[in-house]
Amino acid sequence: MITCGIDVGSLSAEAVIFVDGKLEAYSLIRTGYDSAQTALDALRVALEKTEVRQEDIEYTVATGYGRVIVPFADRNITEISCHAKGAHFFHPEVRTILDMGGQDCKAIRCDDKGKVTKFLMNDKCAAGTGRSMEVMAGLLEVRLEDIGPLSLAWDGDKIKISNTCVIFAKSEVLSLIREGVPVNAILAGLCEGVAERVRTLLRRVGVEKEFGISGGISKNIGVVRRVEEKIGFEAHIAFEPQIVGAVGAAIFAAELLAKKGPRVRT
Amino acid sequence: MITAGIDIGHQTANAVLLEEGRVLGHETRVVSGAVEAAARMILDRLIESSGVLPSDIERIFATGVGRENVGFVQGHPTGMLCHVRGAHHLFPEARTVIDVGAEGSRILLCDERGNLVNFVMNDKCASGAGVFLETVAEMMGITLSEMGPLSLDSSGSVVLTTTCAVFAESEIVAEIHRGSPRQDILWGVHDSIAIKIVQTSNRTVLEREIVLTGGVARNIGVVKAMEKQLGYALLVPERPEIVGALGAALLAAEGKEYHDQTSTD
Repeated sequence: MITCGIDVGSLSAEAVIFVDGKLEAYSLIRTGYDSAQTALDALRVALEKTEVRQEDIEYTVATGYGRVIVPFADRNITEISCHAKGAHFFHPEVRTILDMGGQDCKAIRCDDKGKVTKFLMNDKCAAGTGRSMEVMAGLLEVRLEDIGPLSLAWDGDKIKISNTCVIFAKSEVLSLIREGVPVNAILAGLCEGVAERVRTLLRRVGVEKEFGISGGISKNIGVVRRVEEKIGFEAHIAFEPQIVGAVGAAIFAAELLAKKGPRVRT
Repeated sequence: MITAGIDIGHQTANAVLLEEGRVLGHETRVVSGAVEAAARMILDRLIESSGVLPSDIERIFATGVGRENVGFVQGHPTGMLCHVRGAHHLFPEARTVIDVGAEGSRILLCDERGNLVNFVMNDKCASGAGVFLETVAEMMGITLSEMGPLSLDSSGSVVLTTTCAVFAESEIVAEIHRGSPRQDILWGVHDSIAIKIVQTSNRTVLEREIVLTGGVARNIGVVKAMEKQLGYALLVPERPEIVGALGAALLAAEGKEYHDQTSTD
C-alpha cells in the first residue's frame, strides 16, 4: 500500500511517501506564493528520493494552512488530527503534543491511538510563532537556527520583553540593542517569552505524559529547553519534527484506503 | 482668555491655541526624543504661526505620553479626558469617542457634558493601529495620505484572512504577486483594521453619536470600513489628530487643577 501525505504550511511544506506502513521518503521545502504549485514541488522532491512514481500512489491526504488547494489530494484532513496521528507514529506513548509552525501554535491532547481528545490553537496572533522568530532573527542579524544555542549561552541577568505583540516587541528589542544589551541576552528574553506563552496554552489544555513537540520550533533548543523546564517534562521530538503533519496525513491515507479500497481512475 | 493644549503622542505632537472656545491655531509635528523638548518645540511653532504673544497665553495644559515630564505647563490631564472633552466640544451629541493612534486604540464613553464615564483600551496589539497602516504604505510604495482615497475605488475583492499585521504582510505580498489591484489590497487592509478596532469596542456598549479621533481617522478608507462594520455613520472631525490638544486647551480654560494624575493613559 503506497500513500502520500502533504502538509502545506505558511512557511514550509512537506510531502511524505509511505509504503506498507513505513516512511519511505520525505521532502521539506519553503512554501511559495502558490499553494498548489508548492504541493506539487514538495511531492516531486520527495519522489526524487525513492523508486516510487507518482502514479504508484494510491491515496493522498492533504493538510495544513493551504490544504484546501492541493489539486491531487483525495481528501483533506485537519492539521490538528494529522499532527496527533503523526506524533503518535514517532512516539506512541505521547499523549500531549505542542506543535508550533510558521503562523500558529497548537496544544493537542490525544489518546493511545493518536486520536485527538482536546486541543487549543492560537492562529490569530503572530506572538510566539515561527514568523516571530524569523522577524527577530532578521532584526538581530542572526540565523534562525542559531537563536536556540545563542539564547542558552546567556547566563547573565534575565531580560524580560514586556511586549507580546511582535510589532511592539521589535521596537522594544531595537531600544535594547541601542542600550547595548547583548544579543544573547535579548534572544534569551525572547525565547523565555515564547516558552511562557506556550506554558499558558498547555496549562489550559492540561499536560499528560508523555509530552511531544513538533513543528519548526522543535529545532529551537532555546524554546524547547525552557518549555521542558516550565512544564516539568522532557519533550519527545521526531528526527524531523517538521514532517509530523505530513506523516499523520499519509497514515490517514492508508487507513482510508484500507476502508474504501483503491480509487478508480477514470 | 487664551489657553493652549499640547498632546504628545507616540509619533506626533499636536498643539492648539484656544480663545473663548474658538481655535486660534494648531500645529502637528512628528516628534521623537525627550517629551519636554518636543512640547516646547510644538508650542513655539504654534506661537510663531498664530501670531499670538507668549504672554497672552494664560494657561497651558499638556497631555499624552510622558505628559508629567512637561514642566513648563500648569496641568497634566489624562489623554482620555482630553480626547473626550475635545470631541464633545466639536460634536455635542457625541457619547462615544474612538481614538485610534499610532500604537493602539481606545474607546471612550462620555456623558452629555463631555465627562469621561468609561473606557476600553487596546494597546497590546498593533493591528488596529496606525503602525499597521505605515507598514503597508511602505510595502506598497505609497504615502499614508494616498491610502484612504485610493482604497475607495475598490471592488472589495481582497479579503485578508487574518487581522494580525504580521501575518497580513505575507498575504499582502502574495496579493501583490498575484497582481491584485492596489485599491483592493488597501481596502482589505482597512477592513482588517476596522474589524480589529470594532472587536475592542465589543468589550463595552457603544452609544451614539460616535466620534472617531486620532491620526488614523484621517484615513477615509478606515473610516468607511468602520462604518461598514458598525452599520452606521461616524462623526469625524476635520482635523482628528488635534482633538486631544483641543481638549487640553478647553480643560485649561475651565480652571480646574490636573496634577500628578496617574492612569493607564
